[in-house]
Amino acid sequence: MKGFATLLWLEYRRSRVWAAALLGSLAFWAWGLEQVTYAMPEEQLGIRAGFLCAAAITGLVALAFMIGRFRSETRQGQYQILLLTPPSGYFHILARFTFALTIGLAYAVAIAGLLWWATGRAGLHLTSLDTAQLLLVCPLYGVGIVMAPLLAWTLLLMVLSSAYRISGTAWIPGTVMVAATPFVLRFLGERLGDVLYRLPGWRLFTGLDAALARIGIERSSEATHAGIVLPQEPLWGMLALATVMLVLAGRIWQEVEA
Amino acid sequence: MTQVFLIVVRVLVLCLLAYWVFRLWGGTRSWTSRATSALCIAVLAWQVVAGRF
Repeated sequence: MKGFATLLWLEYRRSRVWAAALLGSLAFWAWGLEQVTYAMPEEQLGIRAGFLCAAAITGLVALAFMIGRFRSETRQGQYQILLLTPPSGYFHILARFTFALTIGLAYAVAIAGLLWWATGRAGLHLTSLDTAQLLLVCPLYGVGIVMAPLLAWTLLLMVLSSAYRISGTAWIPGTVMVAATPFVLRFLGERLGDVLYRLPGWRLFTGLDAALARIGIERSSEATHAGIVLPQEPLWGMLALATVMLVLAGRIWQEVEA
Repeated sequence: MTQVFLIVVRVLVLCLLAYWVFRLWGGTRSWTSRATSALCIAVLAWQVVAGRF
């Protein structure tokens, strides 16, 4: 565990500028949200939600770049040194993933906080429970189904490419993995769609209907349940996929090290 | 004519994938890398042969 803590510290030293820039960019997004003043409150909420979607996508891309900086490390000789260090490849991969995921989770919670602020500005006042779900459950769910698999995929892609660097064919595994990913995702999406809601879903925002009614928005008559029901299966499926990719990346690191 | 063209394109892509399998198999000594690359190429080959685009 001491080795893992050292690797986490090393990851912090390597990526702290990226992390600070990413978290600091939230000030820019908050400033952008504040500038939306020229429309009806409901429209403002829509525009601000669009801003926050852009912030989320930007954060995902930045984190993927942050975790996948193997090429510059190889050029500077850091990667070769890391391969020779005593901790196993699994710890190296886990430390990188843990650091990036922690930064990502903080970023996601901050974006949820900005969304909560935007809903308040639109007159949509959530209950304490709904606010807690917005600030904690939604970021965790989003990180679990999108961010964790994306970061694990990026790590696997870079480690796999690095395994072929000596032979000069690193671009081939990168190309085939990027090309094959959409088909694998479609296959997984179809399988997960088949089992959706087999497990009991998680009901969130039970006070949302009342809050919407207070500002004159009626929910569709087709909605049979109060609030929103999140399915469990995509979360478990994507977490399992992320785990498999991390194990593969760790194994490849071990074999390249050997 | 279009069918023939598509068949030729598919055969060419399969040849490229076969060449990549050969390069990837010999490009590393890591068996997990070989298996992961082979899996990705198998997905692509499956799409070329019987996939829905």
